[in-house]
Amino acid sequence: MSKRGMIRYNRQETRAAWLLLLPSVIGLICITYLPMLASFALSLFSWNGLGEMKFIGLDNYIRLFTNDSKFYGSLLTTLEYAGISVLGSIVYSMIIALLLNRKVPARGFFRAVFYLPYVLPALAVYLGWKWLYDFNHGFFNYVIKLAGGTSVKFLDSSALVTPSLSLIAVWLSGNLIVIFLAGLQNVPRTYHEAAEIDGANSWQRFWKITIPCMTPIIFYNLLMSLVSNLQVITPALSLTKGGPGTGSYFMCYMLYTQAFKSHKYGYGSAISVILFVLIAIFTGILFSTSGSWIFYEGDDRE
Amino acid sequence: MSQTVTGTAKSSRMASRHRRERAADIICLVLLILLALIVMFPIYWIFRSSLMSNAELYAYPPAFLPPEWRFSNYTETLKSFEYLHFLMNTMTILVPAVLGAVVTATMGGYAFARLRFRGKKFLFTLCVGSMLLPSMVTLIPLFIAWSRLGLSNTYWPLILPHFCGGGAFNIFLIRQFVKTVPRELDEAATIDGCGFFRILVFIIVPAIKSAMIVVGLLKFIELWNDLLQQVTYITRRDKYTLALGLNIFRGSFNDDWSSIMCATCLSFIPGIVFYLLGQRYFVEGIVMTGMKN
Amino acid sequence: MNMKKLLAVVLCLAMLLPVIALGEGDGRVHITYSFWGNQTEAESVQAALDAYNASQDKVFVEPMQIPNEQYTETLVNYAIANQLPDCGMVNENAVLYFSRNGVMADVSDMFAGEELQPMDCITFKDAGVPVGYSSSNEILILYYNKDMFDAANEPYPSADTPYTWDEFVAVARRLTFDENGKHPDEEGFDPGKIVQYGAFVNNWTWQMEVWALSNGGAWFSEDGNEVLINSPEAIESIQKVADLALVEHVAPLNVIPEDNGIGVGIGSGTVAMTTDGTWRLGTDFPNLGINYGIAPLPAMKEEVTICTSGLTGVFKGAHQQEAYDFVKWYTREESNWEALVLTGIWMPKSEYYYKTEEGINAWLGNEAYPFKDLETGKKVLVDYTMNNAKSACWYFTPNTQITTNEILFTALQSVWSGERTAEDVINEIYPELVEAIVVD
Repeated sequence: MSKRGMIRYNRQETRAAWLLLLPSVIGLICITYLPMLASFALSLFSWNGLGEMKFIGLDNYIRLFTNDSKFYGSLLTTLEYAGISVLGSIVYSMIIALLLNRKVPARGFFRAVFYLPYVLPALAVYLGWKWLYDFNHGFFNYVIKLAGGTSVKFLDSSALVTPSLSLIAVWLSGNLIVIFLAGLQNVPRTYHEAAEIDGANSWQRFWKITIPCMTPIIFYNLLMSLVSNLQVITPALSLTKGGPGTGSYFMCYMLYTQAFKSHKYGYGSAISVILFVLIAIFTGILFSTSGSWIFYEGDDRE
Repeated sequence: MSQTVTGTAKSSRMASRHRRERAADIICLVLLILLALIVMFPIYWIFRSSLMSNAELYAYPPAFLPPEWRFSNYTETLKSFEYLHFLMNTMTILVPAVLGAVVTATMGGYAFARLRFRGKKFLFTLCVGSMLLPSMVTLIPLFIAWSRLGLSNTYWPLILPHFCGGGAFNIFLIRQFVKTVPRELDEAATIDGCGFFRILVFIIVPAIKSAMIVVGLLKFIELWNDLLQQVTYITRRDKYTLALGLNIFRGSFNDDWSSIMCATCLSFIPGIVFYLLGQRYFVEGIVMTGMKN
Repeated sequence: MNMKKLLAVVLCLAMLLPVIALGEGDGRVHITYSFWGNQTEAESVQAALDAYNASQDKVFVEPMQIPNEQYTETLVNYAIANQLPDCGMVNENAVLYFSRNGVMADVSDMFAGEELQPMDCITFKDAGVPVGYSSSNEILILYYNKDMFDAANEPYPSADTPYTWDEFVAVARRLTFDENGKHPDEEGFDPGKIVQYGAFVNNWTWQMEVWALSNGGAWFSEDGNEVLINSPEAIESIQKVADLALVEHVAPLNVIPEDNGIGVGIGSGTVAMTTDGTWRLGTDFPNLGINYGIAPLPAMKEEVTICTSGLTGVFKGAHQQEAYDFVKWYTREESNWEALVLTGIWMPKSEYYYKTEEGINAWLGNEAYPFKDLETGKKVLVDYTMNNAKSACWYFTPNTQITTNEILFTALQSVWSGERTAEDVINEIYPELVEAIVVD
């Protein structure tokens, strides 16, 4: 009704909003953006942590793009891992959540089972998987050999290492399942009942009611899993150490080893800026498409 | 006459639907069992490893069952893995941090989802923007700041940040859930004269309880496993958390993997308990949320 | 209203949080010693600190335990924020980094005029100037499983004369067999179905340096200013080790080198010989229950091994002198005699324990020492150290935390997996290595 430019903000509403957002704003400024700016500024310096800081302008960036043999490999590896992991874990967790949302016996038990991997400490998870994937002593290869096949280099070839690690990421997506489950429970029952009376079968109800009502949650899960998978580091840190080749040399791992292990803090900061831009691009794409497919039940129709 | 015909047609349609639903239920159950077995396998593998000696772990062929069920591994592990002590330390950090995160994230998420105010778009963009960087990037600047405040050897740096919105992800999650709550509910309340805070507490919070539990769960696990921060701020053995405690089996010369596995199996029990407690609210959520009124 | 209540609850909870008390106010100077390690190590550290604290009433030393994997980076974080402990263990690859950047105090005269002098090969030197001493000595040796040798009717490796590389491969071939009992050089051998491997050469990056030396090459020049890893000898040595698994099929594949050579090798019960460090005598073998022996490393061209061990550093600060005195006390062999030397984890760092009969008998001849064969021990542990041990590269080359730990570690994985040749990889990363050692 009101023209866009003429929205009149209610003073009370504005005050309430800022009050509610006060802790978040403090957090955003003090524990995110100020340190982040400090870190970005650092990318213009050469600094080994203990010695003098030297201003070198854009040298870190130039070097990254023109003179780092691992940068592009790292970029591709990160994208490949994120692509497989995001698709895999969204589909997997949606299926599991839908199955768990039905009236199956021992539902509580099953829910716990699929959530369990997410609870485990990373150290144990990756070690456990290493013993399964291992080329010489691993269980998978033992079974493959028993079946008459030849051993597979799950983690020991640059081609297979990313998919193998992605599989672990899918297995670990218990958090997505929980969020989907909570979302499924927020789908208003009355919609289903109304549709049932109108004679819609469960398939139709799934596509016409469940999915549209779930789009905000799907969007959230997509975003969260995209961002966290682009920031992947633990599999490389606790299992494959970046190799073979750049097969698991994820950007975040590169950042970490350059900054914290090799003490090239300026260079590491430059990588973090690139990573920031990369994730921002993907997030931007996701947000710009969101208007066309997300259905908000209680949208504020701004 | 015509009434009876439609009646039987309807009931037979109902019956066939019931049959189909029953068949679907069975298929789902079978699928679930299969998937559950696959998902459980690596966990079983970890558990089995906790019952083996270090030498047996590397033996070939890998033993599907431990050659000898060494439950004594657990008693051995508990001798140096001060479980209750570490658990108490962990809880000292986790309980306030999780509570703070859930409360402040709910406040923020509600404001972003429902309230109209100047600067909202900008603030929301900032909020989303803060997700784009891994937390390790801010580790050193924050550590310097905390040590200037003289708090770098305390639990405060591990707790206080979570009182600031609990992280953009959680604010965003709450926002998404608030948006699935029909607007008619709070419009009705506004007409009844409720202010924004009362709407939040009496309308929104009951409706998104399951999401708040989820935030709590995610935060709990995130902090549970957050080694990088804990390593930086906790240096004294008597202040160790469970996540740090797992490292006491990693020596300067060799790692005691079977003890690490024992400690792992012990350390995720609280996570599971917390999940099972929270799960109750999910089930309740079905009845309570949505169009109850 | 509700907000207030909540705030109250939250504040109350926050009040309950314990804040760590600093300093106990007992009139003593409190200093902090940082270390990494497992439970047993933590206990032995605590025992030593207790002894020191009881021995005098001026200084009180408190332990600061930091997990192994994050140790150096955490210390650096502390240094950046001016929160460094007063003294502590320093990883070999970070010693020159710390000393060059003025974080560590000068300890070069710590043992001046003392009866026990630390050996030269475990002295860290920056451009020839001593900057610190390792707390112990460790060398790389060959371990073998006697039962597997007996089963194959193979004579044990000699403690006097090392295998040549070709002999080593030949013996390994005889000890390797597949499901059908075929050896790698026999018709019908199936490398996909190997049951027992003959050898495993630990390819944890820093241990690989010994093979370059053995092949007549080196990784870095002795003044630490030049990268020599692109020499044909050094490249060939890496390829030879990789080929044990890839071409000869006598060793298990180990693409992600982790510090678990014994676990991958002889400890798994499927490998007959493994190269690894002497600390394994104390940390692994007592628990493995293997009937094992020790021998010098096989020699490609030279009979050589490398020695290494972490350092206990004194950090600059207000309590530097107290820390210095403590470190001097703490790094004597006596202070760790029962916990570390007699358990076989540390070999002594002073020449006295290698050059005099009395000194040798004090540890190697002690009943508690886990390796019982005194004669073999004298040859493989004592004489081998005295005659054939060279310092590992981080004793004289700066920035090994970048070169060996990062660049080489990642690059060599492609060689271990067989995807690229050593020559290809080394030539590609050579400019990076050259640049890395001059970075300050």
